[in-house]
Amino acid sequence: MSADTRPVWWPTAGTLRGGLLGGIATASGMALTATSGWLIVRAAERPVILTLLTAIVMVRAFGMARPVFRYWERLVSHDAALRLLADRRTRAYEGLIPLTPARLGRRRRADVLTGVVDDLTDAVDAQVRVTVPVLSTAVAGGIVIALAMALSMPVGLVMLALGCVVVLVSALAAALESRSLPELLAARAEVTRVSELVSSQSGELRAVGGWATAMTWLDRAHDTLARSTRRISAGRSLAASLYLVAVGAAVAVTAVIARDLDVATPVKALLVLTPVAVSDAVTPLVDAMRALARARGSERRVDALLGLSPAVVDRTTETAADTAADTDVTVAARPGATAYGRGGIELRDVTASWTGGRTDLAPTDLVVEPGTSVAVTGANGSGKSTLLAVLARHLDPTSGTYHLGGTDALDLPLAQARSQVAVVDDETHVLATSLRNNLVLARPDATDDAVDDALAAAGLTDLRNSLPDGLDTTLGAGGRGLSGGERARLGIARAHLSDRPLLLLDEPVAHLDPPTARAVVEDLTSLTGRTGADGGTRTVIMVTHRDDGADLFDRVVEVRRRPSATMTPTAVTQPGDRTHETGRPPRPGR
Amino acid sequence: MKPFDPRLLRAVPAARRPVGVLAATGVLTGVATIATAFALSAVVVAVVERGDLTQPLVWLLALFVARAALAATTEWVGAWAGVSVSSALRASLLRAWGARDADSRPDPGTAVSLATSGAAAVEPYAARYLPTLVHAAVVPVLAVGTLVVVDWPSALVVVLTLPLLPLFAALIGRATEESTQRRWSALAALSGHFLDVVRGLPTLVTYGRARRQVDTVRAVSDRHRRATMETLRIAFLSSAALELLATISVAIVAVTVGLRLSHGSMALGAGLVAILLAPEAYWPVRRVGAEYHSAADGAVALDAILAELDHPQPPSPSPATLFPPNAAFGVGGEVRLERVTYAYAGSTVPVTRDLSLVAGPRLTVVTGPSGGGKSTLLDLVAGLRVPTAGTVAAPRAHYVTQRPFLATGSVREALTIGHPATDEQLWESLRAVGVDGVVASLPGGLSADLGDDGFGLSAGQRQRLALARAWLAPETVLLLDEPTAHLDPDGAAHLAQVVADLAERRVVIAVTHRDELLAHADQHVVVRRPDAAGSPLDTEESVR
Repeated sequence: MSADTRPVWWPTAGTLRGGLLGGIATASGMALTATSGWLIVRAAERPVILTLLTAIVMVRAFGMARPVFRYWERLVSHDAALRLLADRRTRAYEGLIPLTPARLGRRRRADVLTGVVDDLTDAVDAQVRVTVPVLSTAVAGGIVIALAMALSMPVGLVMLALGCVVVLVSALAAALESRSLPELLAARAEVTRVSELVSSQSGELRAVGGWATAMTWLDRAHDTLARSTRRISAGRSLAASLYLVAVGAAVAVTAVIARDLDVATPVKALLVLTPVAVSDAVTPLVDAMRALARARGSERRVDALLGLSPAVVDRTTETAADTAADTDVTVAARPGATAYGRGGIELRDVTASWTGGRTDLAPTDLVVEPGTSVAVTGANGSGKSTLLAVLARHLDPTSGTYHLGGTDALDLPLAQARSQVAVVDDETHVLATSLRNNLVLARPDATDDAVDDALAAAGLTDLRNSLPDGLDTTLGAGGRGLSGGERARLGIARAHLSDRPLLLLDEPVAHLDPPTARAVVEDLTSLTGRTGADGGTRTVIMVTHRDDGADLFDRVVEVRRRPSATMTPTAVTQPGDRTHETGRPPRPGR
Repeated sequence: MKPFDPRLLRAVPAARRPVGVLAATGVLTGVATIATAFALSAVVVAVVERGDLTQPLVWLLALFVARAALAATTEWVGAWAGVSVSSALRASLLRAWGARDADSRPDPGTAVSLATSGAAAVEPYAARYLPTLVHAAVVPVLAVGTLVVVDWPSALVVVLTLPLLPLFAALIGRATEESTQRRWSALAALSGHFLDVVRGLPTLVTYGRARRQVDTVRAVSDRHRRATMETLRIAFLSSAALELLATISVAIVAVTVGLRLSHGSMALGAGLVAILLAPEAYWPVRRVGAEYHSAADGAVALDAILAELDHPQPPSPSPATLFPPNAAFGVGGEVRLERVTYAYAGSTVPVTRDLSLVAGPRLTVVTGPSGGGKSTLLDLVAGLRVPTAGTVAAPRAHYVTQRPFLATGSVREALTIGHPATDEQLWESLRAVGVDGVVASLPGGLSADLGDDGFGLSAGQRQRLALARAWLAPETVLLLDEPTAHLDPDGAAHLAQVVADLAERRVVIAVTHRDELLAHADQHVVVRRPDAAGSPLDTEESVR
């Protein structure tokens, strides 16, 4: 079986060892109960004290073996699971690179990525929560059945039957859990969605008198969650009770057999108490089956995402965007920048689709002269973001041509094309590292002066000066938090520092309040036309949903959804001296 | 950290019943466990003495069935308790926030995470930890109590050794506290690294830095493993030490019982009961420790949520409750602001300073520079913000914000979110604002799905829908923030007329930077940035 098709519970070498050690620990626990019974009954026969010593030593040995082996098992199996986790994380990360960003969904990509991290953890969790306990129980069960058979074949068969019942009940529990889990997860997701909406938009809701209605949505979501929780717990309850009924029956049958068995009386006590001891080993299986269903679901989601094919193909290497898309070509590709910076963008009859099914961008023409700024507006779903993804070479167009400086962009090596474009979206990620590192990732050879320039251009000088350690201040998780406006500006500073000729922005200020949004856009448009290190001039294209300072752009174009209508640069709706007609040559660098 | 926070029961009445049922089930389970020890020892005695098995076996089977039923009940009630406690907490939390102004709520990030993952983390706390806690509180006491009656020397051994468990746990905890703390913070940074890098993938890919992180991911994951193992080693070691202590204690009971049996100073049945009951005194205590770790997130979240619920009410209640719409405000009501100053929470620079304004029936248009506090003024009138100084007196208002809320769902649901309306009224309002044609062309008309955030509608169409909703609203005061922002000149002129018509019947305050509305204004208010020289407010009466 290859590594990719193995079920999520398939043991690694480490968890196999863990399962064996756990089996010894579990068996020691059972032996402790059974030999204690033997000791008591033997003592009641009032033998010479010395003959009891063996039993006393055994009781103590088993009593000490259980915690010792359990400790050993936990070390071995957790280490093995963490090794697997490290390996799977690395592979998943590599797998995600060519899928980023177009295959991560069109909104809330950070949430999708967080989901992958959680799902990987859950999937690997199966090793510790499913594989090891099940193996332990199986090993201990095997030992018990073998010993029981050696002492008395009928009792051994009872134990075997008990083992079979336990297997069946576990299978039933796993099946019930798997059946109800999707419904439960959907109910949880709905509760999360509604409570997120209510907690983040409570002002807007109260403004229109919709608060009470929103609370009824929450109540409805909670009711659904309660219903699906009841349904899934019914299965768990059934399993938990069936295990106990099976153990009770096994004790009773063993007692009846043992009573008339031709063995020493202490052995009879030992035999009767053995199935009781089994119940301690079986109870963890309820939780194991629960973890199994969860891990399977997580594994399926991770597989489904990582199994996607990349949204772009590198024609120069005839491979899907993979290694080529990401090797560090920032420096190597610089020569291409001249052509790009001077040539401008020309889209003819371009259509595109995220999924390959429906067309998300209707046939579109767009000509952008270098050094100009363009605001792209349009209704939700009209294809604004799709257009941007095509320009950024995140998504291959379905049809039409895309020229950069007179060259077919699709013929450029992917890495080279992408190295011309800086993209800023509405969820700028601040890495948990210093302010400097957060910026220079866009241009590794940047000096501190260049970093300060970029911060100033994005309006972050005050922030930088307020930081205790200046550029060395740690930001992000565990460091200083940034406000939404500061984050958006950081994304812009990064893009500016990268010195790339084409700046693409996808609603960078969508989550900001209007005055802040406008201030950010003002700083942003002032970057247009700047002369880069290579002599090219910078072009800025911003997608915006509302009119966040669209009047500050040289041109406003509207994308329309109707498949028949081609996109035409509409007349600029905002009056103002900064607007001018399509095709006007770029003004000199500001 | 307390094992159980009784504030939960006070703050969330809905939690009382499931927690009560859990406690009752816990007690019954404890009794059944003790009884099973007796039945089992009777069975063993009957087997070794070849006595009559019928009666003990009937008892034993009945008890196993009873325990099975109780186990099912515990599972079921635990799940019920978990979901009802976490849902009730979430609902109380959101209701509490809904009654507060913008500045007395936590920031959106904290609010969202507390209402979603925070409340959800309480679920395992209630579903798994609480039953274990009940079990630990009930079973050891019952077991020791029974042992006192059945065989007091064994009870003495248990009573002398049982307190060693928490004592040892505390000692181990103290000895390792410092290194554990240090490890945890290192661990948090290491485990956060992968999430950080993965969430940053779009950025890293954009700048061609993603692939060089692969080796870092591998290296950090490996460091994470080693650091985790160091922390776990201590945790596992201490739990192994406690288990060892417990088994040694049980072994002492078993050996003393064995010795007394061999002296003939004790009956076999009593001896069996003693060794079957002794472990029951120890393991529930150990299990609480284990479950507590998995419920620790829930305990922390519970603490934070209860603190939010204890939050003092805002200094002044919302205007809606202070000034219910009534005759005192005249026919159409009246909005009155007196020397109102407002600064955002944590800011000392006011956005609005010393602003006074009286807006009677008809149309008041507010203009002024960006950042002059126009939207803040509407927020204050709507009661979404509470002034830092001064008074706001206003009846309940319907407020169309710059990005008005349009729910996922049908057009009908979006329009009737705050108030009921018949389909005829809906069409009438849509006709009034000029989107009846658009809605009629949608598949399903009023039932057409708007999708996430109003999919497929242009900003201007969304704006008109929000105005149609305002048209339907029963409130006497209407606040409009840039109602014509997304429209072309013709559309803006049309909507300005709609707003003017609305002002025939109500108090309308509109913020705008465009001229169309000004032509209809009965009163024109110009706000300035508070730092600008001169009066913060120019009021200019104009007559249509």
